[in-house]
Parts: sequence; structure tokens; C-alpha cells
Amino acid sequence: MNPTPPEASLKNAPAVEVRALVKRYEKVEALRGIDLTVQPGEMFALLGPNGAGKTTLFSILATLRAPTEGGAKVLGLDVVAERDAVRRAMGIVFQEPAIEQRLTGRDNLVLMGLFYGLSSSSAKKRAAEIIGDLGLADVADRPAKTLSGGQRRKLELARALVCNPRILFLDEATLGLDVDARRAFWAQVSALTAAGRTVFFTTHYMEEAEVANRIALIDAGRIVALGTPRELKTQVGGGVVNLKTDDDAKARLWLTEHGFTPEKTASELMIIHADPASILPELLRNLPVKVQRVSVHEPSLEDVFLKLTGRGFGGDKPDGPPGGGRRPPGRGGEA
Amino acid sequence: MIRGIYAVLVIDLKRFWLDRARMIMGLAQPLLYLFVLGAGIGSSSLQGGANYQRFIFPGVLALSMLFTATFAAISIVFDRQIGFFKAVLVAPVPRPAIALGKVAAGAVQAAIQGLIVLPFAPLVSVHLGMIETVELLGSMTLACITFSAIGVAFASRFNSVTVFPIVSNAVLLPMFFLSGALYPLEKAPDWMKLAAHADPVAYAVDLMRGAVLHTFFFPVWLSLAVLTGVIAVLTYSGVQVLKRGEDDSSLGASKFTWK
Repeated sequence: MNPTPPEASLKNAPAVEVRALVKRYEKVEALRGIDLTVQPGEMFALLGPNGAGKTTLFSILATLRAPTEGGAKVLGLDVVAERDAVRRAMGIVFQEPAIEQRLTGRDNLVLMGLFYGLSSSSAKKRAAEIIGDLGLADVADRPAKTLSGGQRRKLELARALVCNPRILFLDEATLGLDVDARRAFWAQVSALTAAGRTVFFTTHYMEEAEVANRIALIDAGRIVALGTPRELKTQVGGGVVNLKTDDDAKARLWLTEHGFTPEKTASELMIIHADPASILPELLRNLPVKVQRVSVHEPSLEDVFLKLTGRGFGGDKPDGPPGGGRRPPGRGGEA
Repeated sequence: MIRGIYAVLVIDLKRFWLDRARMIMGLAQPLLYLFVLGAGIGSSSLQGGANYQRFIFPGVLALSMLFTATFAAISIVFDRQIGFFKAVLVAPVPRPAIALGKVAAGAVQAAIQGLIVLPFAPLVSVHLGMIETVELLGSMTLACITFSAIGVAFASRFNSVTVFPIVSNAVLLPMFFLSGALYPLEKAPDWMKLAAHADPVAYAVDLMRGAVLHTFFFPVWLSLAVLTGVIAVLTYSGVQVLKRGEDDSSLGASKFTWK
């Protein structure tokens, strides 16, 4: 597949490279041609509603399913042809618990080490290291089932780190956790990326996707948008600036003269702009009136998704706003 | 490969140890056969009570090991349903190592269960000398691996734990009853003798009984050949099922999907 020696290709290759990827199950086409490149060290989010193809794409990258057409590489290694090398280089946190609940956290980590080919003694050493790194020392010797939800997720993360992976895949890793536990989990993950790891994660919590460097929005087996959180939001038409001045009429006149399109709401002026944050300093400096209050609203990622697909995120909105209808007929599901 | 087998073996034995209460409970069934059924049937049959119990002792050992081994194999079905094995599947473990590890783990568990029943031998007038003990342990080992291979070959094809008891009743019990574990095959009707020839459990029981009572129904070489063959074929088929699962993450079980 790749003429360069694995070492060389590992160093320069993108962390994830997906080309014209199609996955068909018996009845549905779950992925309809995905192209994607994730750079090393990036924190990359795959965002989309249930059934969009997230899990299928994730499974293919995780070497659990084979593509029907097209291909995918992780760290320059083909997920089919060089499956074992991919497996050695990545760590995965699954949506569902993947630790043996009756065993202690430490036992789980040691066992995982054995599965990665470590000797008993190095597996023990590695387990102790991770337990120290993730601050699990207090709970590592209790049966996993006695831990709190957040601690158990942390243990899942620890399990994924046993092989000291250069890339970490997280599939809805914080599902069912409360806000605090989710925040703690992501803090831990951010610390891991700081060490140069690539993190590729799926989620359907909007605010979680915001921590990513880049986000791919996926719907019905296609990527409908790709970019930094900020880029995605500007795609939707930027954001909203609300102004309250001591003379709104005068302000409105000035704004119109300067190429803005202010609209008057009940008590404020509203400006829709592609990049409200960048115009705000200018506005505040030059407005010939006194500004009493100003606020900026970014459109949420959900707005972006809504605009691109005509559907909300949580579920179906048969009567989507205009701008919908870009969705291909017959939505692909996941098996 | 070896590391992978070892890892599967370690995790299964750890779990077996967590369930050690089951080991003790597992004693109930063989002891019931031995001391209740055995005494009851023995006292009403021509062979006489103590003789009959002595006769069925190897069969009861086989029963205990057969059920332990197949129960151990069910863990494959369970593993598919919990996420744990998904983590194993994305580790660089060759699929055959998983099948081989499962066979090894089942065999070890069956052997442990058998060894727990063994001390009851003197109570049914089975007295083992040095050579008998060695022969018995050898044939038990072979029997354990056979039973475990049977269990893995079946369990690897199932994706639901609920159908497993039905299968085990439909397959394991006939295999046990036809094996001559509870009666001498010599005196059985011809069709049963014939059926016993197709029953791996019969060869295992016969070897173990031969070690204890020095009488064989099948030639020893035939029993050894059949058991070895069964182990090879069934283990291979289990490996193939898991290999088939490489691309669908279900480990090849029919219809099973992770989500």
C-alpha cells in the first residue's frame, strides 16, 4: 500500500486519512463517500445525530469493520492491510463500558497490558504508571463496579492508554455522565493532547464538540461541514450583536451609512454579521452615540447543523426551516 | 499469539476465581448422580450398589467436566454482549489466539472441577494406585480439552445467551446419556452402541473408566485418535468462526451486531 518504510510514513503521515469511504450494510448505505484528514496533535470532533454514520466511521477507523469502498489510514497505516499495526498504535474508549466490572481497575489495566503483548511485570509497571498519571490511585484497587460513573470513565480512559497510543479514539465517551464528571473527563483528555497525542472523538453534546480544534458535521453518511468551531458558525451567517445606546435612531442611521444592516428590536438594535467579534471594536470606537449595553451571540453548532440539514439535532423536524432539503432522500442508518 | 492465548486464559481464570462459589455449587450435580442416583439405581440393579457407583464414577467425572467446560465457553457469548471484548478486539491479538485461549481456559476450569470431584473416589470404592492415577489424570486432561473444544465450537456461533441452555439440553444431555456414563455400553441396544461411536463423550468416558476399572469398550488407540481428532477439528472450526468475524466485529456469530 505504502512504499515508504512504516517508520517514515508514521512520522509524516496525517493522524487520520479517509478517502472516498463508503460502507454499505445489507439494507442501508451508512457512509456515502467520506473524505477527511486529521493532522497529528489535533483534537478532532465528529458530530452528528444518531444514525448519521458516526459509529460506522468510528468502527472502521477502529479496525472493527472493513470499508465497502474507499479506504482509511490511521497514522499512515491502512486500517485493513495493516490492521495490527494500527491496533498497536491507537487507544479507544467505547461508548459502553469495556472494563470487567468485577475486577479491580488495576487488574483490568494489567490484563489489557497482556493483550498488548507486555510481559506480566511490564504490564504491572505500566498499569501503575497510568494509575498515577490519571490520579486513580485511591480507587484502582477496588472492584470497578463500586466506582462512580466518572471514575469508571476515567478508568476506561486509563485502559485506552495502556498501549501508550499516539492517537486516541473516543466514541461518545461521556454519555450519561453529569456535567462535572464530563468537565473533569475532558480536562484529562486535553492534558493528553497537550502531550502531542491526536484525539478523534464523536459526540452529540454540542458543548463538547466546542473543545475540538476542528469539527466534522456528519449527516446521512456524508460530511456536511468541516472546520473550526468558529468557521462553522460563520458559515451559518456569523453572529448577532445587540446594542443598546442612548440614541438608537442616530446609531441606526450611522450604521446604515457604514454598510451595516441594523434592525430595530423592541428595545435594542440588532446587527447580523459574518464575524461580529471582529466588527465590535470598530463599532464601539466610532459610533457617534453612547453605548449603554452590548452583547454578542454566536450561533450555536446546532444552528449550523439546522441550517445545513434542515433538521434539528435531537431528532426529526419534518418542517425544517428554508435551507433544508439538501439532505439526500432516504436517510442512511447504522446497523 | 502465545501472549494472546495467555491473556485470554488469565482473564477467564480470574473471572472463574471470582465465581469460586460456583465451583462448590458445581459439586452438587456430580454428587447427586453419584450418591443418590447411583445408590438408588445400584441397589435395584444386578450390579449391586457399591459396584454401580464405582462403575459410574468416571462417567460422573465426565459429566462434571462436560458441563463446566461448556459453561465456561458461554463466556464467549457474554463477552460479545458486554463491551469488554470489544477492547480485546481492538488490541493486536490474533483472532485464533482468542479461540485457543478460550479452549485452554475452559479446559483448565473443567479440570479444576474434575479434581474437586476426584477425592470422593474412595467413598464409592474407587481405589487408585499410582499407575491408575496417572492414567486417569491423563485421560481427564484429554477429556477436558475435548469438552472445552465442543463448548467453544458451539458458543462461538451463538450471539444470545438465552438460546444456549436450549442447545446444551438438546446436545449435551444426549451426548452424556449416549456416552455409557451411567450404564455399560456392552449391554446397550445396538442402535445405542452405534450412536455411541459418534459421541466424543463416549470415548472420553471409556478412557477414564478404563483407567479406573481396566475395562474398555473402545480400543484405546481409537479413543485417543477420536478425541485428538475432535479437538483438532472443533478448535479449528472455532478459530474459523472468530476469524470470519474480523470484518464485522461480531466475531463471526450469526446476526450479531454490536449496536
